[in-house]
Amino acid sequence: MTNKPILDIHNLNVVYETPSGPIVAIRDLALELNANEALGIIGESGCGKSTLSYAILDYLPSNARRSGSIMFNGEDLLLKTEKEMQNYRGDRIAMVYQNPYSALNPSLTIGEQLDEVTRIHRGFSRTQARKESIQSLQDLSLGEAEGIVRRYPHQVSGGIQQRICIAMALLCQPDIMILDEPTTALDVTTEASILDIIGELKERHRMSLIYISHDIGIVNKISDRIAVMYRGEIVELGPQEELFNHPKHPYTRALINCMPRAGVKKETTRLNTIPGYVTRRSADERGCPFASRCEKKNAVCEEKYGLREIESGHLAACDRAYATDVPDKSTFAPLIPKANARPGADQTDNASSGIEPGIGPAPLLELHEVYKYYKNRKRTVRALDGINAKIEKHDVLGLVGESGCGKSTMGHLVAGLLEPTKGNIHFDGKDISLTWKHRSRDTIRDIQLVFQNPGRSLNPSFSVEQILDRPIKKMLKIRSRRERRAVMINLLKKVDLGEEYLSRPSTRLSGGEKQRIAVARAFVTSPRLIVCDEPTSALDVSVQASVLNLLGELQEQSHTSYLFISHDLNVVNYISDHILVMYLGRVCEYGLRDEVVNPPYHPYTEALLSAAPDVNPSHKQKPIRLEGAPPDPSAQIVGCPFAGRCHKKIDGLCDTTPPPLKRLSETHYIFCHLSEDRLRGVAHL
Amino acid sequence: MQRIWYMAKRYPLIFPALIIILFWFFIATFGPSLMPFSYTAMDMDHQMTAPGVGEHLMGTDSLGRDIWSRIVYGSRSILTIALLTSLFSSLAGVILGFTAGYFGGRIDALFLRVMDIMMAIPPLVLSMVVLGVLGNSNILTLTLIVSIAYTPATARVARGTLLSCKNIEYVDAARLRGESHLYIMFREILPNTMGPIIVEITARFAYSIMMVASLGFLGVGLQPPTPDWGMMVIENKTIIKAAPWAVLYPSLAIASLVIAVSVFSDFLSKVVIRDQ
Repeated sequence: MTNKPILDIHNLNVVYETPSGPIVAIRDLALELNANEALGIIGESGCGKSTLSYAILDYLPSNARRSGSIMFNGEDLLLKTEKEMQNYRGDRIAMVYQNPYSALNPSLTIGEQLDEVTRIHRGFSRTQARKESIQSLQDLSLGEAEGIVRRYPHQVSGGIQQRICIAMALLCQPDIMILDEPTTALDVTTEASILDIIGELKERHRMSLIYISHDIGIVNKISDRIAVMYRGEIVELGPQEELFNHPKHPYTRALINCMPRAGVKKETTRLNTIPGYVTRRSADERGCPFASRCEKKNAVCEEKYGLREIESGHLAACDRAYATDVPDKSTFAPLIPKANARPGADQTDNASSGIEPGIGPAPLLELHEVYKYYKNRKRTVRALDGINAKIEKHDVLGLVGESGCGKSTMGHLVAGLLEPTKGNIHFDGKDISLTWKHRSRDTIRDIQLVFQNPGRSLNPSFSVEQILDRPIKKMLKIRSRRERRAVMINLLKKVDLGEEYLSRPSTRLSGGEKQRIAVARAFVTSPRLIVCDEPTSALDVSVQASVLNLLGELQEQSHTSYLFISHDLNVVNYISDHILVMYLGRVCEYGLRDEVVNPPYHPYTEALLSAAPDVNPSHKQKPIRLEGAPPDPSAQIVGCPFAGRCHKKIDGLCDTTPPPLKRLSETHYIFCHLSEDRLRGVAHL
Repeated sequence: MQRIWYMAKRYPLIFPALIIILFWFFIATFGPSLMPFSYTAMDMDHQMTAPGVGEHLMGTDSLGRDIWSRIVYGSRSILTIALLTSLFSSLAGVILGFTAGYFGGRIDALFLRVMDIMMAIPPLVLSMVVLGVLGNSNILTLTLIVSIAYTPATARVARGTLLSCKNIEYVDAARLRGESHLYIMFREILPNTMGPIIVEITARFAYSIMMVASLGFLGVGLQPPTPDWGMMVIENKTIIKAAPWAVLYPSLAIASLVIAVSVFSDFLSKVVIRDQ
């Protein structure tokens, strides 16, 4: 490692000119990147992480202005002309974007796009270029590279697309690779294997990485040093382990603490939240960027407090960084215990004894052999392939699985947006395998849905009042305006919002506020079941924490049941009483939360658990890498759907015979050929 | 408001365009009562006089009628017809396009085929033929026929904007509380499609002016002696060498209004698109 940094940013300011005045996206930023170093940048959305990476490449929108200096190997990139910059982009500094699908050209084959890079930047001939492209794909452990180069981007999975983007960035042998949330659009298992690859490549090609993410767990996995950004400033910068073990800035602490992580459950803890949300910064604002949301704010915070070195290489922009009244090991301790913690034994009471009907108290919702096929002329997609499930009264069933496993389809079937192809759904004894059109008024009132993206589920032309008023009028049949208003104010209070929100247009709310309104709308009818379809995955971590807290509290107060759908096992683990793991339209494992997340577990559950990014820096265990993508859902599967990717597969059995149901306890089921001992097998962690 | 002003500064053409539009609306409303001449009055001493000679601001035609007075009166009919046409065709377009797009399937397929057939005939030809057969056109028949001729185009725009909103979750949310189709179409979806639809109405307004002028030029528009801008151009074609102003001024009137409305529509679409 050379002493001289490869990238040295000084006093960088980026200002956007907008109709409502200039907005400071990056302010007085200083940052060094050493050779062969991986620098992670974390922060919530709107903190200027992406703007920073675009500023380095001079790839900002036309209304942005840059000032300061960005020294790359001793040359200032800010002084380069557009033409000169072209020699840097791609060649010296490469970038990988968040969404590989939109980064690749859909009308060119993968090979053509890869070849182009070496032909333009390195002057290769066609055959030379193709050879190099295939080699680069093989370096990324993509088998069958010759086949892939002939395909179009839409013919390969998202994980492979992202590997192709990385291969493309590598083809120019850049000195720096900037990765802007490269795994956010991918499944956890794919994410884990991509992160592995990035780590390997860095060592092999001896290049520097800038890894941007909102997910602390991921940054933790990949970086040597971490910079925490907030509202355009770096508030803390330090070596990875040091920063996680001894975070100094209140924002870093808050960010680390609000992630739900393994072992954190709703019965015992509330998630830590950061009050407020990221706001835009005007040009004349002074002082610590985090002051308005900081709990430990004092007079000093109103003044500018620059980055100072606390320990060697560890910098923080907070006067409190030296304070002794803040416990040092705060990272893993200050989860707020709940006053009225529900004892763990409580749950086993309402867990009935079997999937078979007629035993124990009748569950609220039951799915019997539910199939949902989507047919078109060419093929039949088996979204749900014989699902049995149930939800008890006053119980949360967490539904996890990768994208495309049918979890949203199941949610939509229960909510009544879709109709099952085959099978029955029983709600409180009534058959509700019908769409909304044919459901009774009571059923419609009793089952509500909270959507993933509140920006899309709330009508952008309506005010909060209009959004809440209509369901109250329509479903509660309250005629008097004054009464309806009282109901609305009460609902807003439930979701911790004030009366003043009624008159606001829904587009003027932050993501978290929107989702609160959506939750309030779902609670209008005091439903007995709410289907939560990834309600927090479109939100920032700090907002996710507060929405999860809210959902947990409301569930407890109102005795509602949830069908909680998420791809994030940590989130499901936090909120659920029971967990159902799905793969390719089938159930892998079902049981009480603690039974599912602890061994013995289905190999797929094991893989999901090991892929989930962990915020504990000392856990750097090698994840179980799932090779390939889930099989084509239109193919007829004979054996276990997971057999093709399973690390514990029994050859000749798993891919020919459907897995039997193994009952491990009264409440715990696994569909797998493996013996219980084998399932217990390698323990997680 | 702030963003409209911000956009206007970046698109300064909007200012002359607005002035021209307001000017013509003012003229159409108050002009006739301020005019020194009636639009039919023939000044036999001043046939084909040049602009500025005597009291004739823009000169006279071969019959000695004051060009300016005729333009002022003509602005009334053209603005009325164009305004009504753009409103009617948009209204019909929204109803048809929304119904087809919302229900989809066979209704949509049938709708698209009918629209294709109608669009295969140019609106101008369609209007010309129908008006020719009916004979004796007046403001009512003109409005009606031009509206019908333009409905396929507006219906397609309406259908397109509806399709972009139809699969957003707030529509699902409305369905799940048992709302009727009418409520979902016109209360939930319509407000979110208003931007493109308003742009379409203004663009249609510009097209309608062109259409009415063209029909007048072709002789199937309003019948003489009612002054009509398009008709004035064709009437004076024979004297274009002796009195070019008699053709020039009505042409300028048409051009200024069409261009100004087009610029206005363009500006609106920029404001609306950036907003989304």
